[in-house]
Amino acid sequence: MEIVLETEQLGKRYGRTWALRDCSLRLPAGRVAALVGPNGAGKSTLLHLAVGLLRPDAGVIRVLGQAPYDNTSVLSQVGFVAQDTPLYRDFTADELFTMGSRLNRRFDLALAHRRLEQIAIPRDKPVGRLSGGQRAQVALALAMAKRPRLLLLDEPVASIDPLARREFLDALMGIVAETGTTVLLSSHILADLERTCDYLIVLDASEVRLSGSVDTLIGEHRHVTVEDLVLRHLAKGASA
Amino acid sequence: MIWLTWRQHRKQALVTAIGLALLAAFMIPTGLAMRHTFTDLGLADCVRKLGTDSVIAANADTCGRASVAFNNQYGTMSMVGILFLVLPLLVGLFWGAPLVAREVEAGTHRMVWTQGVGRRRWALVKFGLLGAGALVASVAYGLGTSWWLTPISEAGQHGRFNVFFFDMQGLAPIGYTLFAVALGFFAGTVWPKVLPAMTATLTGFVGLRIALATLARPHYLPARVLTYPVKDATVQTNPAAQDWILSYGIRDPTGKMLTSNAQIACAPDATGPGAACGSDLGITPGSYNWQLYQPGDRFWLFQAIEAGIFVAAAALLLYLAIRRIRRIA
Repeated sequence: MEIVLETEQLGKRYGRTWALRDCSLRLPAGRVAALVGPNGAGKSTLLHLAVGLLRPDAGVIRVLGQAPYDNTSVLSQVGFVAQDTPLYRDFTADELFTMGSRLNRRFDLALAHRRLEQIAIPRDKPVGRLSGGQRAQVALALAMAKRPRLLLLDEPVASIDPLARREFLDALMGIVAETGTTVLLSSHILADLERTCDYLIVLDASEVRLSGSVDTLIGEHRHVTVEDLVLRHLAKGASA
Repeated sequence: MIWLTWRQHRKQALVTAIGLALLAAFMIPTGLAMRHTFTDLGLADCVRKLGTDSVIAANADTCGRASVAFNNQYGTMSMVGILFLVLPLLVGLFWGAPLVAREVEAGTHRMVWTQGVGRRRWALVKFGLLGAGALVASVAYGLGTSWWLTPISEAGQHGRFNVFFFDMQGLAPIGYTLFAVALGFFAGTVWPKVLPAMTATLTGFVGLRIALATLARPHYLPARVLTYPVKDATVQTNPAAQDWILSYGIRDPTGKMLTSNAQIACAPDATGPGAACGSDLGITPGSYNWQLYQPGDRFWLFQAIEAGIFVAAAALLLYLAIRRIRRIA
């Protein structure tokens, strides 16, 4: 079983506070993993470490077998959608895709165009004038056009309305089914993850509380839903 | 990267080009007019005859009347010129400061730095292209202003070593502009928000400029001393030399300063009210005029030193900015 993302005793500190500590986990290829936890649990930090924006202060992180910090060979195989789906608002989707094709060795323009056609998003309008949900879709298309082996999404649906959220997750599932990309998706909206994810990582107070395949975890713990499972482990962390 | 840089900064480039075009539309006609007047008044020939020596014969014609006529007509031009001093700073504020600060403020750095291009390359290409643009604009501006200011300086109103006039022509504005862009870029990596980065750029730019202009520039090279007698003076200072006079006054034979910021020269056979030759002011016999100065022919050397210091500061800031940028997430 190929491991796409692996961390050992990983830690990241801002000043004196640890944003992430003793984080050890393994994400096997082909999974759609949910990274769950309350605000400030270290989800964004973990994703930023994985995409090489941050350098670890302790431990090791390996993405596709390499350390991702300042490593363009990892970068070209990882897609990333940051929190609030930042895009240049004065660029049209077409211009963003041109940017993608110029900044990446491999960039599937046809895939990006097809994605937006399917959901009828105009490619010639500045993305600042699109709705939040549409912008998230453009950001997803931009990340997926890299044909990444690992796709990281930081709270991609947090700031969009429920309908757009469902559409976004459907689009994500469609694209994963099509390409077989491994996905790590952070969220604190548990209900959304139930339908999408088959792997679960629970992060709380900068430490990993639980990680594993959803089927196995539910089997082991005899909880009916993912939501119950997560809440129970977060509560345990709080009382400990 | 080149395409992206152009796409993101084409508006700034266009505004700068329009600004330079407007400047040219003002400077070329007024510059030509000034040169015409300068020649018509006979100033061109007169100044050429004076040469560039620091002292000339006491009875030489210092082109006084023509200078006054010229300055009466074009005195305001030099005031307009002072407005150009802010141009390098504007480039730093509007090109340099937002470079990183705007990306981080909008969160787009997480999008653009996670494409297939490393941050260092992103920074080098962006700064390289913006720096090249700033270089072209500032060369056009610096040399253009030199051409435009020449008659004003030669007419003796403000020598080109004058603190404002030195700063807005030649090589110095090129150094200032590159420094301003690098400072803005660096400030954006320290304060990754547009307004604080602009404030820091403004403060840092004005601070270093004033510090260097007032404290360091007079000492780039050891200043020279010029003395000539008060009484029976056969020489006078040459206004056409455009020397940068740092301080001057009258000293007694022992070298003690009698009165600073004054010069007196009396011809050997002087008569009339001035014949006392300052003896009523306490000027003792044997006193002499003294001046500490940087010779006018050091102008381009000083320009190169000034520009060199600012280019070196820009290089240092660029290095620091690239180091810092790797820690922004």
